[in-house]
Amino acid sequence: MPDTSTGVVVIGGGSTGAGVLRDLALRGIDAILVEKGDLASGTTGRSHGLLHSGGRYCVNDEQAAIECVEEGRILRRIARSTVEDTGGYFVSVTEEDQAWEPRFAEGCRRTGITCERISVDEARRREPALSKHVRTVFWVPEDGHLDPFYLVVGNVESARRRGARVMTHTEVSGFLREGDRLTGVRIRDSKTREEGTIACQSVINATGAWAGLVARLFGVEVKVVPVKGTMVVLSRRLAHAAINRCHKPGDGDIVVPGLSVSILGTTSAKVPHPETLPIEWDEVRRMIEEGAMMLDGVTTARAMRAYAGVRPLYDLGAEAEGREMSRNFAVIDHQERDGIKGFTSIVGGKVTTFRLMAERVVDVAARYLGVSTPCTTAEVPLNDRDEPLDQLRHRPSVLGVPKPHDEEPPLQPLLCECELVRPQDVAPWFKDPAVHDLEDVRRRTRSGMGPCQAAICSYRLAARLVTDRGVDGPTATRAMADFLETRWRGVRHVFWGSQLRNMQVTTGLHMELYNVDRQLMLDPVAGTSPPPLAGEGRGGGLAQEPAEVAAQR
Amino acid sequence: MITEEFEPTTDTVEEEASVEACTKCTACNTVCPVARSTDIFRGPKALGPDMERFRSPQEAAVTPGLDLCSGCKLCEVTCPSQVSIQEYIRRAQNQGAREKGRSLRDWVLGRTRLLGKLGSMTAPLANFGNSNPLFRVLMERFVGIHRRRPLPKYQWLTFERWFRRHPRPVKPRRKVAYFYGCWVNYNDRRLGERAVAVLERNGIEVVVPRQQCCGIPAVVNSNMDLARRYGQENVRHLTPIVEEMDIVASSTSCGLMLKHDYGHLLEIPGSERLGAKTYDIMEYLWMLHEAGELDLNFETVPMRLLYHAPCHLKSHGIGYPAMRLLKLIPGVKLEEVDEGCCGISGTFGVKVEKYDLSMKIGSRLFAAVKAAGSDQVLADCETCRMQVEHGTGATSAHPLEILARAYGHG
Repeated sequence: MPDTSTGVVVIGGGSTGAGVLRDLALRGIDAILVEKGDLASGTTGRSHGLLHSGGRYCVNDEQAAIECVEEGRILRRIARSTVEDTGGYFVSVTEEDQAWEPRFAEGCRRTGITCERISVDEARRREPALSKHVRTVFWVPEDGHLDPFYLVVGNVESARRRGARVMTHTEVSGFLREGDRLTGVRIRDSKTREEGTIACQSVINATGAWAGLVARLFGVEVKVVPVKGTMVVLSRRLAHAAINRCHKPGDGDIVVPGLSVSILGTTSAKVPHPETLPIEWDEVRRMIEEGAMMLDGVTTARAMRAYAGVRPLYDLGAEAEGREMSRNFAVIDHQERDGIKGFTSIVGGKVTTFRLMAERVVDVAARYLGVSTPCTTAEVPLNDRDEPLDQLRHRPSVLGVPKPHDEEPPLQPLLCECELVRPQDVAPWFKDPAVHDLEDVRRRTRSGMGPCQAAICSYRLAARLVTDRGVDGPTATRAMADFLETRWRGVRHVFWGSQLRNMQVTTGLHMELYNVDRQLMLDPVAGTSPPPLAGEGRGGGLAQEPAEVAAQR
Repeated sequence: MITEEFEPTTDTVEEEASVEACTKCTACNTVCPVARSTDIFRGPKALGPDMERFRSPQEAAVTPGLDLCSGCKLCEVTCPSQVSIQEYIRRAQNQGAREKGRSLRDWVLGRTRLLGKLGSMTAPLANFGNSNPLFRVLMERFVGIHRRRPLPKYQWLTFERWFRRHPRPVKPRRKVAYFYGCWVNYNDRRLGERAVAVLERNGIEVVVPRQQCCGIPAVVNSNMDLARRYGQENVRHLTPIVEEMDIVASSTSCGLMLKHDYGHLLEIPGSERLGAKTYDIMEYLWMLHEAGELDLNFETVPMRLLYHAPCHLKSHGIGYPAMRLLKLIPGVKLEEVDEGCCGISGTFGVKVEKYDLSMKIGSRLFAAVKAAGSDQVLADCETCRMQVEHGTGATSAHPLEILARAYGHG
């Protein structure tokens, strides 16, 4: 891969990294974002997508709560296309919960969270699915749903429009330094293992749970504790608003309406490595049991998959573990701490506060670069489409149907039927060099995230790889199989009832009918590492935004 | 604790929310007569279970294309997971109509009994109007009923009034209640007369209880509240009767409402018992035959007949009893035209915007009927018969009429 140079290299393509890139771009600083997977493929994409009002932290973690309040309001202003204003409820179901209530109400008052106590009847009128166990209800209008994929992609696209570059599926393998001065990073293509360098004046380590591992490449220590959280996805929205248990944050006490699905979250357990995230049956079961305490229909809705994300909690040295650890973040100035000029890390925090985190770390980096332009990310909207993220960006009513007596063209077929993804939603991404495989397409369009878990859309998308991207048949087949494989990883944890039968249909379709497994065995492509789909110009080079992408954003 | 009542590893999910059971196998789309005739219709899977995920109680339920579903129920018959696809579509249609309001035409078409009453009271006038080209142009323009669609003829003497004067047989072996439906009452009394004759010939006394429209025209015109009102009335009138006797219906759609939809779609309390005792008239006669009670002294009927199985008959899940029965009659040469839906689907094919589509759906059936050449086309459903006659120029009849003929009632 060709060597290049820039002002700042941002490592990490999650919400923080994307926020940092946009912040840099808005201040006119040349920057490249390097991500070893895809955008939002790590922590951010595996969050439950709750835009915190702060209510969850207002008792135990006042600082985090205050940040949530402020950042939530800012995001509603600048990132309307990634936020759905659902509002939220804090419900108590046991006596223990009721003992927590006064502390919660007091916490909300102290931290400035809008919060109103309403009657259970009124709450049930608004949310018919509230369970019979619910005793008292607080309405917290500033809870919401933050779509993590749109958020990261939106930030990155906004930065790209201002000249920033993005290299996905690119790992940082080392650093270049001259004495105590950092002069660049060594990079490697995650798939082809091709190497290259980026010369730069400054590096921002925004890798969250991986921050310690990245810093270690440099020989410095950053203490990040990876804490795993498991979530279960149900196939439809059981409630319109986010439902929280009004108690000391614990396991399985949130149900988030994630567009067309409900997400039950979450557990909390320390793990040795940010990529070791096994999901236990016990966790899945506990999620569903606890969810059922708050909402009816949790046990009867179809559990579609389970996934685990890793929280990048920053170890401030205290003996705190998991939930007791603060959700605060810290900017680590390695020049001050370790004497390395041009290296900064940002650790801790949460998706809701990503913008603030980016602002703080870029403030530090900019000072070293001698740039005094102030941060404007809180004022400049993310994109030009100023519409709020609706229950569905492509609502059924928008799909349109011509009247039978008119001579109208036929309906365009849907690619993903569960999530109503149309060809025009997908087409621009096949032209984007940052998009490498079908998983990347999924994160940007929601293809394959519905009940059938890519059984139907996988082959349609694979066909698009051939027509729109010009890859050959065996490569497209491989991409389809990889896509199904990643879906399968989440589905196997919820293998009962409808989802089990659905997977029978999937395997029947792909293995018995299409012979995908046999095809891969016979194909020369199989066995070797899959070649990149992007073709030339992928990864490095000027990530010129295609006109289609610009038009869509 | 919740744990005790919680069993995530069972299949009970489907019982409470059958929409969850859809495995996207797409079998429903392959049998949907509308989807296979036009590419402007997304098919039952998309409009049923797929869209159902996006319909929340707080949300508008209007999905484009929803009103193109003709309501044939073949999707439900085919679904290997027993998803009540049709019911989800119906509910959404109904909620949509409630939100955006109903057109005058749909309001009228949902009230078949009212139409029938007016039509039969003014029979000569109504029939003249319904066949007058000028009047039909105005009707299309102002009401939205397609000018080329033949409308049923009304008769002045209703079946109810005819039956009141009908002498009761002496010493019957059994008793059965006859649900004649609006069609027999206002448009085709003679079918009712023959039904009574066939039943009485077999030693069965026919009782005609008080009854209301079954409600299916209201259901298909997105007025489930009206349908539920009709249904409740019928359940009230008929429930005492089923303690003593079975109910037979000569219209497949009426029968299906009584049997199935009162309980499932309309959720009328107490309708299960009624449903369990309701039979299609041909089904009932075949059961009689199996019990050895059917009078088999048929006259020879030398006819070449074609049988078209109505979609709603398929929904009954009873096979084709008419075919089996008619094959008992000497001289009858009977063949099935297995070419799918006729396309009219009750009031669907009457509407101006759907007429062409309805004819297109039926085109395969029409071609097969024309190619086969026969004396008559048989179908258990009245609107199927109308459509076949309109699409092919052939004559049609209810299978019961052939049976009556074999018993000597020309």
